[in-house]
Formats: sequence, structure tokens, C-alpha cells
Amino acid sequence: MADRAIAHLMDVRGAQLGYGAVPILRDLNLRIERGQRVAICGPNGAGKTTLFRGLLGSLSPSVGVIERLTDRMGYLPQSERLDPLFPLTALELVLQGAIPRLSGVRTFSNGEVSRAESLLSSLGLGGQERMLLSELSGGQRQRVLLARALLADPEILFLDEPTSGVDIEAARVIFEQVDELTKERGLAALTVTHHYDQLAAHVDSVWWITNGTVEVLDAKDFNPASLLGRRWSDVDSAGSEEVTR
Amino acid sequence: MSIQEAWEFFRWSILAILVAGATLPVIGAWLFVRRTSFHGLALPQFAASGVAFGFMLLPWFVAQGMFGGLPLGEVASDTHTALNYHLSFAALGTFGGLSLLVLVGDRLGTEGARVAGAFAVASAITILCAHRSPLGEIFVHGILTGESLIVGIHEFETLAVVLLGGLGLLVWWHHDLVLVSMDSESAFVLGRPVKRIELLFMVVTGLSVSVGTMSVGPMILFGLLVLPPMGARPFARSMRGLLWKSAGLGTVGAILGLFAAFRLDLPPSPCVVATSAVCALPGWLFAGWRSSTRSS
Repeated sequence: MADRAIAHLMDVRGAQLGYGAVPILRDLNLRIERGQRVAICGPNGAGKTTLFRGLLGSLSPSVGVIERLTDRMGYLPQSERLDPLFPLTALELVLQGAIPRLSGVRTFSNGEVSRAESLLSSLGLGGQERMLLSELSGGQRQRVLLARALLADPEILFLDEPTSGVDIEAARVIFEQVDELTKERGLAALTVTHHYDQLAAHVDSVWWITNGTVEVLDAKDFNPASLLGRRWSDVDSAGSEEVTR
Repeated sequence: MSIQEAWEFFRWSILAILVAGATLPVIGAWLFVRRTSFHGLALPQFAASGVAFGFMLLPWFVAQGMFGGLPLGEVASDTHTALNYHLSFAALGTFGGLSLLVLVGDRLGTEGARVAGAFAVASAITILCAHRSPLGEIFVHGILTGESLIVGIHEFETLAVVLLGGLGLLVWWHHDLVLVSMDSESAFVLGRPVKRIELLFMVVTGLSVSVGTMSVGPMILFGLLVLPPMGARPFARSMRGLLWKSAGLGTVGAILGLFAAFRLDLPPSPCVVATSAVCALPGWLFAGWRSSTRSS
């Protein structure tokens, strides 16, 4: 277990992220602290995914440092990215979160299976453990993926568009569960979203990405419409070139 | 030919086809869920082109004294020497083609188009090299279609070790391979060795195809890698279920195919492919029926 006395979990100092020689984001100075709930917002193509990949570690900074003080990270991908051709049950999918703790004979312990079942139950999916991925609705899949991310015992949870293809009720269940964990366990949650209105009540700060850099704003003061002088829906539908440059 | 006579004369060939029937569909099932079933067609053809290329170069290697001064005819008929030589070229063709497909990546059209193009080129190379082979096109063709039932004990042992060993590795890394195949980003976040697991799968697939091409021929490989998983998927309620059902369908297809070949005096490879297709038929019908009831 990591030392709870250390308040921050990740430190980004003077980092530059991009692909090849082209920097997408520059001069990044960010800190992720325990229990912090962050929304990562910005127009299409501004670099939300690039920042996400940098924080996750799948993209290295070309300049500066991204220091991770924990290796316990959870990731909730967009449910549409999972191919239903894989004949996986909800329980099998959740148990993937425990793969790093597989036993010597490469099987899941009874304890892990029980934890996976209770996580599914706590997310309103009790009794659906044997349902195939292809038989679940978008909202159910997203909750299964959240259960998988939580089974990994993360200290930081990354959520990639968790409300995409999900009804309002399912989105509410997801955000409430995350809120509970941030309070109880000091979990930090970073959410990339295009639908800030659904997330507004569940975040403390907003990382607003524009013009190749990240501005850290208090959630109470955040108003995307005023930031660009237009409605959020216009920002949503605008192309990256038009809005960011 | 009676079954007893067939067993007496072709024991190692029969065992090789049965081992292939039980194991290749498992690799095929992985290719299927990863949406790379086309590799089940292209890779054996790459291996075949490698073997044909090796046949074309055989006189040169004999002239260099690489086979202890044995003449060409003896090298070709000595199964132990010939197997190792052809296996090397089969592996060269398979891994060369596989590396090419990976290197080209998404730059040249869709996955299907790339693999179809590669299949066309590999087929042409196979025919051209076989045509230039000093042992004759028919001899090479016979080996590549697996019609000649020439599997000896050494070839069977090699096939069994490679296929069963590869299967063991896939079973050991099962959970990681599922995660990496369906969601590599999450696998990375969970600290799994994504690149090593991808490489492992490529090596197991490449070696199985290389050895399989040299032992039972590319036609059986085509059939066993592609058909049983397609027939098993509609009935599968878990990943392990898909793998078991694919192996079961492949084994039944191989047994029925061999039985038909010997009783009706037909070449075994196309018989195994035909019976595998018949075994997969209920799955296809079930999938069609289910999709029509869902849409109505």
C-alpha cells in the first residue's frame, strides 16, 4: 500500500507531448493529488487524448518530466472500443483487472472472483455475471469496465468519455461510485469528456486544453461557453483547426 | 482402402492430421477474434512460397556440399535432411511475410486488401519457384497440397512438439492474450508486457504454420485455421468455450475427413477441409437464424 501521507500521485513538470517532431501540448505543469476529481475538457483535436496518453505512460514527453508516484492506475476506456466478437462474460471482463495478481498456476483466486462479483453487484449488475459482452447495453458495458478498473485497486482512475453511448442513469451510477471512492479511499479521478454538463457536479477542477497548453481552473468558475465566447455545443462540433489555432 | 491398411501404411500422417485438427483451430480461434482470420490463408501460402523457393535453390546448396556430398536425389528422398532444410525455408517464408504485413501496417489500404494482395503474390512466387525446381512442379505441388501422405516419424514428432508446445504457451498466457488482443491500452495500464505477448503470439502462429505446411500441407492449414472457429463462435459463451469448441470441431472434421479419404480413395487434405466445413455448418446456420430472429 502506498504511503497515504504523500498527497500527490503524479507530477508533470515542464512537459511537452506530441507525435514525432510535432508538439501538440507544451509547457505542461500539472499535479494529481489524492481524492482530486478532474475533468479534462477542450475542443475537438485540442490534445485531450494526447494528454491522457502522456499521463497513462503510453506516450513519453519529448521535453520535461512526468513523474508517477504510484503504479496503481485504473483505466476506463470507451465501451465502443471493445470488440463484441470476443465471447467474454461480464465476470471474465471484470477479472481482467486482477491479471497482475494471477496465481502461480495462472488462475484467479476465489477471493478475486468474489470481489469481482460484489463489484458488479454494487454497480447494479448483480445476476448478470454470465452475460456476454455482446448481450450488454452500452451503459451496462461501461459499468462492467468500471468494475474492471476498480478491481485493479487503483489510486488514480482515468476515465475516457465515460458517458459516451450511455444513458443518463448509467452515467449517474458511474459518477456516484467514483465520488464515493474519492471520499473513502482518496482515489484520484481524471475524466476526459465532451459532456461537461453531466460531470459538472462531480469534479473539483477542470483542465482546459486550448492553444497547445493546459489551463487549470476551479470547477466552480468554469464556464466553457464564456471561455470561447460561444455555446458549448458549438465548441463540441467545431473542428480543431478552427477553434484552437 | 480399409482403415486397418491405412493405419498400417500412413500411421504418422494420420496422427499428424489428428494433432493438427485438435490444435490448429485453437490458433485459428485467436486469429478469428482478433479479426485476422485472413492470416490463416496468407501465412500458409507464405510458408509454401518459402518451401518452393527452397526447392529452386536446392541444387545450388547440394553443389556447395551442404548435405555431406549427397546427390540431389538422395537429399530430396532423405526425409530427415529434407525436412530440416524445407522447414527453414518455410519459416523464412512465414516470418518474412508476417514481418512484411506488420511493417506495412495500416499504410496500404485495409487489412483484408493487404492480406489478399500478399496471398496473390505468395501464390505466384510458389508456382514460379516450383516451375523452376529441378525436381519438377508436380513433386513440389504434391508436397504442398499434402496429397502424398509422406509424413514420417521425425516430421510427426516435430509437428507434435511445435503445435502442442505452442498450445501450452497460449494456455499459460491465456488471460494476458485476451486482454492484449481486445484492449491493449488497458493491458499497458495494468503493467502487462504488451509487446512481448504480441510477439509470443506471432512466433507461435508463425512456427505452427511453418511446420504445419511442411507436414500436412497448406490446404489443411487453410481449412483448420479458419473453418472450426467460425462454426464454434455462435455457440461459445466464453473465450475458453470458443477454444475448446474450435478444437473439438477441428478434431471431428479431421477424423471424418480421413475416414472419407481412405474409404472413397480421395486425397485427404481436401476431404478434411470439406468435412470441417460440414462440421461448421450448424454454427453458421445457427448464427444466421439468430441474426434473422433478432432483426425481425
